[in-house]
This record gives sequence, C-alpha cells and structure tokens, in this order.
Amino acid sequence: MEDVAKELLSRLVRRIPLVRLRHVLGRWERLSKTQLLSLDFTQPKWALCENLLSLCEENEIAVKDLTEIEMLYRSEYPDQGVWHVFQLVDTSEESLSSDFMHFRDQFKANLKDLINHVSIKMKKLEDESVWIRIAWGGNFSRPNHLKPTYVVHHLQTPYVFVSSLANKHKPLLFQALALSAHCGSVKDVNLSGRCLTALRDLSMRQYKQVFPSRHQKRLEERDLLPNPSIENEHIKLAEYKQQVASEVFGDGVLPKLETAVYKLETKYREHGSENLARRDEPFRGVVKFSSSNLLESLKYCVSSGMASTPVTPLLSSITHKGRNYFVIKDKQHGSVPNTSASKF
Amino acid sequence: MLGELGMRGDGGGCGGLVNAPCPFSGVLAHLSALETESVRLVELQREAWRQQATREELCATVERLRAQRDQLRAKVLSATSLQQVMTEVDQENEEKRSEEEKSAGDSQLHMSLLTARLSHVKNLLRAHHLIGGYDITETRRGKGVCFSIATAFEDRTLETYNVEMDLARTMRICRHNIPPFIPLERLAQENFQSDIMAFLDSLSMHLNAYVGRRQQVRLIQELFHGSVKVLESNALCSILVLRCRQVGEKKAAALCTLEYGDPTRCLPTRVTIDSEEKTLTDSPQWNEIQALFLETPAHQALLAIRREERIA
Repeated sequence: MEDVAKELLSRLVRRIPLVRLRHVLGRWERLSKTQLLSLDFTQPKWALCENLLSLCEENEIAVKDLTEIEMLYRSEYPDQGVWHVFQLVDTSEESLSSDFMHFRDQFKANLKDLINHVSIKMKKLEDESVWIRIAWGGNFSRPNHLKPTYVVHHLQTPYVFVSSLANKHKPLLFQALALSAHCGSVKDVNLSGRCLTALRDLSMRQYKQVFPSRHQKRLEERDLLPNPSIENEHIKLAEYKQQVASEVFGDGVLPKLETAVYKLETKYREHGSENLARRDEPFRGVVKFSSSNLLESLKYCVSSGMASTPVTPLLSSITHKGRNYFVIKDKQHGSVPNTSASKF
Repeated sequence: MLGELGMRGDGGGCGGLVNAPCPFSGVLAHLSALETESVRLVELQREAWRQQATREELCATVERLRAQRDQLRAKVLSATSLQQVMTEVDQENEEKRSEEEKSAGDSQLHMSLLTARLSHVKNLLRAHHLIGGYDITETRRGKGVCFSIATAFEDRTLETYNVEMDLARTMRICRHNIPPFIPLERLAQENFQSDIMAFLDSLSMHLNAYVGRRQQVRLIQELFHGSVKVLESNALCSILVLRCRQVGEKKAAALCTLEYGDPTRCLPTRVTIDSEEKTLTDSPQWNEIQALFLETPAHQALLAIRREERIA
C-alpha cells in the first residue's frame, strides 16, 4: 500500500469514533463479513488501525477506496466542520432538467479543465443530494487527500453547501459549478453553521413556517403563564406574541442554527459620551449571538415578551433572508441602520 | 360720544344760554343729563335687538321642530300604511308571508337583507377556498397580504403553499414556503407588478403540477410495492424511470422512462420503453402503452396495464 493510503487510513481511524467507524465499515462493502467480524472494536485505536491496515493490504485497497470511507462517514454524520451556503444565481431553464449523470460528467470535465491535479469523487444519496469530494493538488504536486473539500448540492435547486474550501480554490470550484449547473454566477448568502440539515432547511425553506390565515389553527405550547387568573387576563396578548414569534421563526422543530453575527460599522450614538459620538469614522464592533439552537432561543425571547413585537428586521432577517452574518452600516443620508450584503 | 357733545357745548351752547346764573355749570348739568339719557337709550336699543335675535332664533327652532314633526308624521303614516298593506297581504296569504311579518319596518328589512348578502359572500369565499382558490389574508395591519395556494391531485387536497407580500412601497415577496426548484423569481419577473392574478395562476399551475407528479410517484410506490420499482426520480419529479416485469415465461424486464418536459403539467411529454425482448418493444401493443402513459397519470396507466395482465 502507498504511504498516502496508510496515512489516510490511520487518520480516519483516529478521527472517527469507534461506534461510527463500525457502522461506516459495515456500509463500505470492501471487507468481507469474516474480515469485519475479525476486527475487535474494543481494542485501542492504534491496534485496530494495524489490523485494518493488514486487511486492506490483503484486499489490495487503494486510496480511492479509502476516500470512500471518509465520504460515507461525512455523509452519514454531516454535522462536522463548518458549512457555508452559496447560491447559484441567474439559473437558466436547463438547470431544471439536469440529471445526476450529466451533472457529474460536466462537473468533472469542467474542473479538470481548470486544474490538472485534482481528484474528484461524486455520489448521489437517497435524499437527492449530490455529494462531491474534491482533493486539490498543486501544479507539481499530487492531490492532497488529507484536506479535501466537501460540496453538497441538491440538483435543480440553487443552493450549494461547501465545507473546508481554501480561498485559492474558491474561483475554480465556482466556475466549474456555474458551468455544470447552468447558472450565471455563484453568490455567498452569508449563512454558515455546523448543522448541514439546519442550513438546508433554512435556505430551502423546508422547516414548518407559520403564515397568517383566516382559518387559523391554534398553535401549540400555550402554557406560558402558570397562574390561571393572570392567564385569563393576558391570554390575548400571549396568543398574539406566540403568533408573531411563530410567524417570524417558524413552528415545531426549528433548524438548529448556532450563531448569528452582526458586524457594526455605524456611528456611535449616545448623549453624554461626546468623545465617541463626535468621531467621524464608524464605531466598529461585532455582536455575536450563540446558542445550541439560536432560533429557538430568539423565538422564546419574542413569545415570552423579552423582545418587543413586531420583531426587529435584524432578527427576522435570519429566517426571512436565510442568513446569519450581517454588516450594519449607516445609510449615506439619514440615520436608519441598513443591513447590507457583504463578503466574508 | 362724550367728547363730541362736549365740543358742541363749548362752541354753540355758551353763546345761546346767556340768561343762566352760572352758564357753565348749567350746560354741564344738561350735558351730563343728555349723556345718561343717551346711554339709557343705547341700552334699551341693545335690549330690543337682543330680544329680536332671540325671537328669531326661537322662530327658527319652531320652524325646524315643525318640519321634524311633519316628517315624523309622514313616517308614521307611511309605516302604518306599509304595515296595513303588509297585514292585508298577510291576511291574503299568511303561510307565504310568515317571514316578512317578523320584520317590523323597512329599515330592519334592509339590514337583514344586507346581513344575508354578507353571509352569502362569506360563504362564496369559503367555497372558493374549499375548491382550491387562493385565500387572501391581510397582514401587519394592512401593510401586507398573504396568499395561500392550495394544491390537489385527483380529488385529494395536498399541501398549501403561502406567499406573503409587502405592500408598503412597491409590491414584493417577503416570505414564502415555495419549494426552491419552483422558479418563483422568474414567474414573479414575468407578470408580478402588472397582473397579480396571472402570477398566482402560473404559480398555482407549477405547484399543482409538481405536487401531482410527486403524488404519482408515491402512489406507484404504494400500489405496486415490489412489482414496479422506481429507479430514478428527482426533486422536481421531472423524470421518472420505472422498471417492471412483463408477464410470460421469460419475465423480461422493461424500463419505462417518463420525461415531464412541461413543468406546468403532471403528464409526461416523452415516454420511452426499453425491454430486454426487442420484438416486444416494436409491437403495436407497446405503442398503445406508450400512448396510454402520455394521456393518463402514470399510476393509472400502470393499473390499466396490470389489469390487462401485461405486467406482473
């Protein structure tokens, strides 16, 4: 076996927890049943790695097959690393009729035209998502399988989710994507997070949204106020708050977004501290909200009355626009803060 | 007034009253007497004017009240006459007119008619919603509206999609739950500002067609569990590859590829059938099947083919 393969395998074994490794190896289909049974998952990892290496050498397994383990692992457990969401803009009608085979061939051909040394692996999962693993190489170096970029694209939709992409590879990937997905360009939508499904649900609006309707269904979660007499007094207000919160952030299980970042580039406004207010250049600051489930937290803030209603566009933009990175600047004329688009 | 009198007294009065013992005191006393008299007269005149004004006012009130009385009288007359007429009519055919008897006057009748009309319109709206029309709700105190588009396939109501619009400045979509592969932006660009109904109609066509195609795939998976396999489909359900087995000794597999080229229809635009047995694919029966797929929803076509016992 090549050294690269050995290094890749030992790295995978080190990184993947044992329970998951067992599951992934079971799905891998390169080891026979007896070989799988012979592996002892209670061993320390280095010993397990040695055993696996010998089995792989026995089966003459190459780097290509080992990358499959990694791909299986990443697609089965996608909530690792930070995913960034990009949008394909100016899509043509052709993009609606593209199928996987066509897209795969196009993408591989386009990317290999742009860069010589690159290793691409693609597969389509049952949920119609296309997973792409790209190992980049340099002009004179072979593809580096230890730092691959992962791209997830749902065909016919304008969204692409990218993990661990270096800046120098960005234009190459985007050009190949634009050509093979029949779109004009690729745009950063300023949405990122660890949970891939949450990002997908948020950008494709697949979570349960609440819309005002004349045939209003009663929302769940009514036990906001424990005292029955107070509840009677406040029930209308509480219902209104609950309704507003659900309309802004959704109902049921909300996408698991962890952070929202607001970069302030506005003038400092406060009476009293003249020194800061008189400065010409903007007062720079970053406000970061983090939570294990940010949308749930914000929704609770609104429904419990901690945040005022109607909800400020700064918070409602997270769900309405599907982004969690904002740059707030002063308008050129006037003083209303403006949420403008920006680059990372 | 005092000044004027005083001036005249000084000029003319002094010369005229020569015999008086003290000419100046007599003139002054006279003048002051004249002055009080004139003040009294002015007061009297003012009082008279005031009385006149009050009388006029009272006259006007009387006039108004009279008019009101006449009006009321006329009303009472007409009401009684209406009542008389109605009671007469009622007497003639009591059974038919039992409902009108209850309404006391024409205003009440008018009100009840209006209420009836309102509920009728409401019922129509509800019916419109029930048969799959767009439901429209006002949001954010009139600053926005929310359209709901219900979708259905073969008498079954499926998802309801919503588009919320902001009407504050220019009309624009601010929130929706339309699937990402429906070209909402393109549809909006085409006829959003000019014709909102056309926009909603085309959106509804896209959504209904998509939901219909997806439902067909689901029905095939349900109805033909094990016999027909869905090999490939996509998010928009614009392509469907089915594998079925022919009846016969060989049990040759046939591959049906349905391509839905028109995203606003739930029937395919192109059907190709490949079979392991080349002779079968050229036969007129297979051409028939191909035509059947083009005309009827896929699950129904498959049911028909199975009924004729051509596939297992």
